[in-house]
Amino acid sequence: MADRILTGCEGLDEVLGGGIPPNTISVIMGAPGTGKTILAEQLAFANATPEHPALYLTTLSEPLEKIIAHGQTQEFFDSNKVGVSMHYEDLGLMLRESGVDQLPEMVTNLLMERRPGFIFIDSFKALTELMLTPQQRRTVIYDLASVLSAYQCTSFLIGEYAQETMTELPEFAIADVVLQLMKYSTNVSEQRFLRVEKLRGSGSIPGMHAFAIGREGVKVYPRLLTPTISPNYSAKVERVNTGIANLDGMISEGFWRGSTTLIAGPTGSGKTIIGLHFITHGALKGEQGLYVGFQENPTQLSRVMKNLGWHPEKLLNGGGFDLLYKSPVELQGDTVTSEIFRRVRDGKVKRVVIDALGDLERSSVDRQRFADFIYALTQWFAAENVTCLMMYELTNLFEVHGISDQEISNMADNVILLRFTPGPEMQRTLRIIKTRGSAHDNREHELQITNKGVVVKKA
Amino acid sequence: MPSPVTNRPVAQKPEQRALILVVERNPIVQRLERFFLEQAGFIVEFTEDGVAALTRAQELKPRIVVTEILVPKLDGLSLCRTLKSNSETKDILVMIFSHLQADDRAAEAGADAFLLKPLDEELLITTLERLLAVQMQSAGEVN
Repeated sequence: MADRILTGCEGLDEVLGGGIPPNTISVIMGAPGTGKTILAEQLAFANATPEHPALYLTTLSEPLEKIIAHGQTQEFFDSNKVGVSMHYEDLGLMLRESGVDQLPEMVTNLLMERRPGFIFIDSFKALTELMLTPQQRRTVIYDLASVLSAYQCTSFLIGEYAQETMTELPEFAIADVVLQLMKYSTNVSEQRFLRVEKLRGSGSIPGMHAFAIGREGVKVYPRLLTPTISPNYSAKVERVNTGIANLDGMISEGFWRGSTTLIAGPTGSGKTIIGLHFITHGALKGEQGLYVGFQENPTQLSRVMKNLGWHPEKLLNGGGFDLLYKSPVELQGDTVTSEIFRRVRDGKVKRVVIDALGDLERSSVDRQRFADFIYALTQWFAAENVTCLMMYELTNLFEVHGISDQEISNMADNVILLRFTPGPEMQRTLRIIKTRGSAHDNREHELQITNKGVVVKKA
Repeated sequence: MPSPVTNRPVAQKPEQRALILVVERNPIVQRLERFFLEQAGFIVEFTEDGVAALTRAQELKPRIVVTEILVPKLDGLSLCRTLKSNSETKDILVMIFSHLQADDRAAEAGADAFLLKPLDEELLITTLERLLAVQMQSAGEVN
């Protein structure tokens, strides 16, 4: 038997430090609709083999027919496995006849009959509601744990448990692993999170991890951790050009490689074009860039690029310009940061633009979580020598009272402020507020958007 | 309650009609062990503690004693030492089958095999078969 059971669920094994330890009892808990059954079936189908079949026992929560009907809508559901290495049984039906006290006995019989490598009881909580007293519950669960621990199989008890029951119910005492699934809903969107509440004798990535449910099942986006930078880590002493006329000269010929620059400005002040400039310039020099956008969709961005005389069809199709677009309505900040991180870790991306931070911030269920993510991301960029521009939208067109919340500006190595000057002919301006470890021009300059891109006019 | 059905054929090898004495206090494990061992064609007797096991081993002279370490009155390792130090029982094969990771201690006590729980049917049966085969081979060489 392997050291860990792989879950078949992208991202979850990383969160669990490699997977589920074999011969353990896991509880998968969460409110109805959080994805418990999908995760459990995904795990079952990923691991079921004729030598180590999976036994999926339904109880009194959802009829077996409904679980199978719904399961078949998922890509991981392999109907050829059913009856061969994936066995479904209606335990609820059997227990209604014989009484819930017979549960350990019945599971023992099923172990001897089916010899499963994996056993799932869904919903276990529904079953325990048939137990009339706490004493009966404790005894039956103790005996069941004895059965499951005696035989070489990995077990999963699924239930609609609330967080506060964890300290009271015996199923959490016998569990080696507890996975909690959560869902936060707004009028227009839903965000799902998974947390490892317990993993006996092993480490896991702490905190809440975003997950999504699609036709391929559950996909987990492990929470971004700040990298452990070795004492030998040293930043590359190399400048990265933006390609924007005169801007590089204002910061000693470009940004330090691996630095993060915050560009703050109101709508229309030129943030997106500066970002496109930065990625396009890198792509034309052979540096892979990633543009992460939440406002302009790919068609709109292509039109902007065409208007500036660039060739989006070439750039976006293997030409070094990678685009990650997410609608702000459907945006889940964790999944985006995780996806950025994944692409950066692949090692090809050298430039990143995030346009804009405010969209990510608004999509985050927790503002501190957002700040922590950005900090971890900037540290990863530094460690991987990826140069990043992060755009931040200011609400006031003319007056600036602060660059950003959450001390994001403190995390950035460089800060550039864009704004409009009031008057009959509104002018765009650019001013460098801060550059870490570098001299810079601190005057305000006019910023012009021409049909060839952005130009900083010398003051 | 109906007996569980199985589609696994019952083993018919003559050497597997061997008597096995199992020392196990947990009735659930006892039930599983009885089922799988009998399915494999062994004859199985159980005791729940080490002292009773010693008595039964002397009476029954089983081919193999399978013992958990954590059993009452006389632990599995002490039981093994006692069996191996007695001329009447020293030829009984002893397999330690425990949740306790103690393969070194089992070897030190004179055990012929060690298996870590939980019960893996295939591993259990093949280990017992191998023990019997080695013993038969040694007996043949001596004769």
